[in-house]
Amino acid sequence: MGSYIVRRFFLMLITLIGMSIVIFALLRLVPGNIADILFDSAGFVDPSEKAALEEELGLSDPIYVQYWDWIWGMMHGDLGYSYVSERPTIDEIAPRIPITAKLAVLALFFSVVMGVPLGVISAVKQNTPIDYALRVLSLSGLSLPSFWLALLILMAFVHWFGTIPIYTSPPDTLWDELLLYSIPAAAVGFRSSALIMRLTRSSMLEVMRQDYIRTARAKGASDSTVNYSHALSNAILPVITIIGIEAAFLIGGLIVTETVFNIPGVARFIVEAIQWRDYPIVQNLVMFIAVIVVVTNFLVDLLYVALDPRIKYE
Amino acid sequence: MTKIVNHSVELAKAGAGVESRLGKAWFMARTYPLGAIGLLLFLGLVFCGLFADLLAPMDPVTTSAASSLAAPGGIHALGADMMGRDMLSRIIHGARISLAVGVGSTIIGCFFGVILGLASGYLLGWFDLITQRFIDIMQALPLLVMALVMAAALGPSLENTVIAISIPLIPHVARVIRSNTLSLREMPFVEAAKAIGMSESRIALKHVLPNTLAPLIVLATAQLGSAILTEASLSFLGLGIPEPHPSWGRMLSESAAEYVRAAPWLVIFPGIAISLAVFGANLLGDAVRDILDPRQRS
Amino acid sequence: MQTRSWLAGAALVAALAMPIQAYAQKAGGTLRVYHRDTPPSASIHEEATTSTNMPFMSVYNNLVMFDQNIPKNGLETIVPDLAESWSWDDGKTKLTFKLRDGVKWHDGKPFTSADVKCTWDMLLGVSTTKMRKNPRKDWYWNLKGVSVNGANEATFELGQPQPSFLALLASGYSPVYPCHVAPKDMRTNPIGTGPFKFVELKQNESIKLVKNQDYWKEGRPYLDAIDWTIIKSRSTRILAFIADEFDLTFTTDVSIPLMKDVAAQAPHAICEKVPTGVSTNLIVNREAAPFDNEDVRKAMNLAINRDEFITILSEGEYQKGGAMLPPPGGGWGMSAEMLATVPGYGDKPTEIAQAQALMQAAGFGPDKRLAAKVSTRNIAIYRDPAVILIDQLKSIYIDAELEVVETSNWHAKVARKDYQIGLNLTGVGVDDPDVNFFENYGCGSQRNYTGYCNQEIQDLFVKQSGMTDQAERLKLVQQIDKKLQEDVARPLIFHGVNATCYQPRLKGFSQMVNSSYNGWRFEDAWLDN
Repeated sequence: MGSYIVRRFFLMLITLIGMSIVIFALLRLVPGNIADILFDSAGFVDPSEKAALEEELGLSDPIYVQYWDWIWGMMHGDLGYSYVSERPTIDEIAPRIPITAKLAVLALFFSVVMGVPLGVISAVKQNTPIDYALRVLSLSGLSLPSFWLALLILMAFVHWFGTIPIYTSPPDTLWDELLLYSIPAAAVGFRSSALIMRLTRSSMLEVMRQDYIRTARAKGASDSTVNYSHALSNAILPVITIIGIEAAFLIGGLIVTETVFNIPGVARFIVEAIQWRDYPIVQNLVMFIAVIVVVTNFLVDLLYVALDPRIKYE
Repeated sequence: MTKIVNHSVELAKAGAGVESRLGKAWFMARTYPLGAIGLLLFLGLVFCGLFADLLAPMDPVTTSAASSLAAPGGIHALGADMMGRDMLSRIIHGARISLAVGVGSTIIGCFFGVILGLASGYLLGWFDLITQRFIDIMQALPLLVMALVMAAALGPSLENTVIAISIPLIPHVARVIRSNTLSLREMPFVEAAKAIGMSESRIALKHVLPNTLAPLIVLATAQLGSAILTEASLSFLGLGIPEPHPSWGRMLSESAAEYVRAAPWLVIFPGIAISLAVFGANLLGDAVRDILDPRQRS
Repeated sequence: MQTRSWLAGAALVAALAMPIQAYAQKAGGTLRVYHRDTPPSASIHEEATTSTNMPFMSVYNNLVMFDQNIPKNGLETIVPDLAESWSWDDGKTKLTFKLRDGVKWHDGKPFTSADVKCTWDMLLGVSTTKMRKNPRKDWYWNLKGVSVNGANEATFELGQPQPSFLALLASGYSPVYPCHVAPKDMRTNPIGTGPFKFVELKQNESIKLVKNQDYWKEGRPYLDAIDWTIIKSRSTRILAFIADEFDLTFTTDVSIPLMKDVAAQAPHAICEKVPTGVSTNLIVNREAAPFDNEDVRKAMNLAINRDEFITILSEGEYQKGGAMLPPPGGGWGMSAEMLATVPGYGDKPTEIAQAQALMQAAGFGPDKRLAAKVSTRNIAIYRDPAVILIDQLKSIYIDAELEVVETSNWHAKVARKDYQIGLNLTGVGVDDPDVNFFENYGCGSQRNYTGYCNQEIQDLFVKQSGMTDQAERLKLVQQIDKKLQEDVARPLIFHGVNATCYQPRLKGFSQMVNSSYNGWRFEDAWLDN
């Protein structure tokens, strides 16, 4: 087990190095670079000025030199300068991370408080009209484009309340912040909650068929005791692992939501940075996300080994 | 993923005593009413996609000054967009694009995913180690971010959007197939085949592959809906299928959203089209999973 | 909503311009404006977009400027700014400015004539400090150099008389930069002498400016601060304006259909329809067969149904015109009668028949259709007209396919002539032929994308520039404009008209009707809260 963890840890490092190469190469395969973008706002491209600009930004160096500069800098805590704002990359990225993190946590909170209880109810009331209604609801949650839902929410707010729940300036109090983030978080969380509800339901159903549940029932334990203390506590494990993974993947859903609600988080920032070909921002942000995802996967894998003795690791 | 399923037996059991094909279909529809609805919705999508040219009352790209933002009714049953293009015709033709994106990217993603997953789970060793790292790398990025980078790298077009969406599916499929293959390797019938001296590749193709089909179909039907949604998100962000193709996602994006209160039909009908298509695909996916993976059957 | 047409608005504001001092202006308050995207930088001289101009013009001063309270810019509306007065020598080639005394940069250093020289030396490319980009080099084709005489006098020496030179200096594009600040710092942390000081620019989020307490103009500005919020999604930002989150929209951001929406939802808001100063036009690659055939280019120009574009995209509000902005907003455009004699602006069925004949002569017809590509940027204001264009080209046997190009690749693609037909937007900083002709049609200009070069016309560009009789000059300019259209240099489709909306509490602010680049000093603006 110990050696497995050590091995797994090294594999994780290899993955991250591979990731850095892939994202680095991929970005340079995308046609156009920052010099083209900067000239765009001037309405023309001047070849000699463009060459000077590429020289200044180090884009004319050989590709392996550029890669090494990035890795070397990263190991020394120097993430370089954003091409667009000409400020340190870390100053551009760091203030945006907490915003997206808060949004993600809140979205996760919504999806869990909605998804788990509804999933349990659906499983307990299996094949009743309630079950069917909840399943259709959860499926529609997975079927609505999240930006569409967000747009409908915005329009409804303006129409009925005359205000718009978008980000225009940083919130002053914790309460304001909660209010500001809760609507976009609910819009994203709706989709995740559908996923969690479905998982909870199937996981519950599986556990309820197990022998020990039947035994508990045979011993005369009440329905609610069986459902909530025995079944749920066992069914929740796979759900938790999925929530862990889902957390890292929420960022995909957050891209469009941050766009519609105008929230200055990292998710939208990454899209803009790709469009601007702002390599230092994209590279470092993607690596940051990758580290989170890879570490989460690592922990989930460890959990699997601990939980499922059927899986053999040579 | 440790359960081995014999589909024909399961299906025979499900339709026990029913002989005619029609009767069987009726029996399945009654057993899985939601699935039947999903199948109908999906068939509707396929039908619209295949016969769009015959079904659509107008050309989906012809503009008309007279019909700009025309309200539903009259010659434009679902209204017209800002450029006077008929919404009904655009939605019908849009089915073709959603179908192409959904089915196309799922097939491409599954094809490469299965090859990678099967080879990786069966061969193990160095090959597995390398593909696993590769898969880890691809999975370390959220699907939409991956699709965004790919879409930017390839440039906006229908083909490139299909490819951009299929690539993030590969690791997903490969992972499931690999873990299924891993558990299959330990199964008595595979060990038995080994014992009687069957070659490795024959075992993989004859015994392992058929038994991974069920999870694959489950996965593929589940991916169908999410591929259509990803295309919509990409188009919304301006990186998906370009004008003048009548993509539903594009129809919902930017300009349509601007005119939503003046012309709500621009946002409502394509939104409903996407939601119904994805809803149908999801219902179908659920039913297929229930049939093929009875562990989770309700 | 009070929808003021810009003409009525012009009359109204002109009437108000005189007694404006009689109002009791209230000082204080923060002006809240939304911005459509993150400006590429804060350095006006390095950019050619109103995204930079609108928020940062109030950080700087010019030597002279267009009167901020008169909506129609012209030579006669130019007023002193950092220069107290100016004079031409007898030969009309030396322009001398007497500079204001005691003006300080935002960092406390004194402003002198050396700063004026530094700025224009940099624009001419003769100084050691270099900007990354110099998009308006072509404006100064006639400027020989700047000399100083003491700290308070600067003289611009021209190659030939050019009355409009003063208009170039009055544009929002022509601020004076400090000598002692490097170009890089001007991009990220600009120092000016203007009524507002730069505080911060957060990408994707906001731009903040505060009142310059030591501003040289007594009692100005009224506002304490200007907060710009960047909102990329147009539907979101319009909703936010409707919900009263902002005092002012980004300039000409509200399209005509959207304006109706604002009218219904925010009845008190004031929306003024004004020309955007941006024209939508066709660029055709003259080197790619069969577009090297002049007849094919002429046929395309004839086939364009401009009225249809205008009806679809703006409910009839956009304007038809030649290269120069049409009247009454524009000061130099052809009259409607004159325009009607230009190919492409006549009776459509007749013109389409002519175009078909030209195409048949070039070897195309109903059975031998020409397959082509229309390239344009992947932005709605480019894509939407391109879709209509493709539809219209079908009538002259051209089956075109749309190729959308990402912003990052657009100019590079156009520069290497890797396109057949392009749909392009052209913004003109100052409504003056000296700017428009040389920038977009001049031989060798970087922004003359098609490479159109007609020496005869080029000579006329120079001739009109030197004319002192402005009435005579107008006649010549209109003839040049007509010739440009007949040569199919860069066929115009329409000139945009959009609305800028603001809440009635915003006072002391007027919109320019012939440029969206020159009216953002904000020193007279105040909030009636």
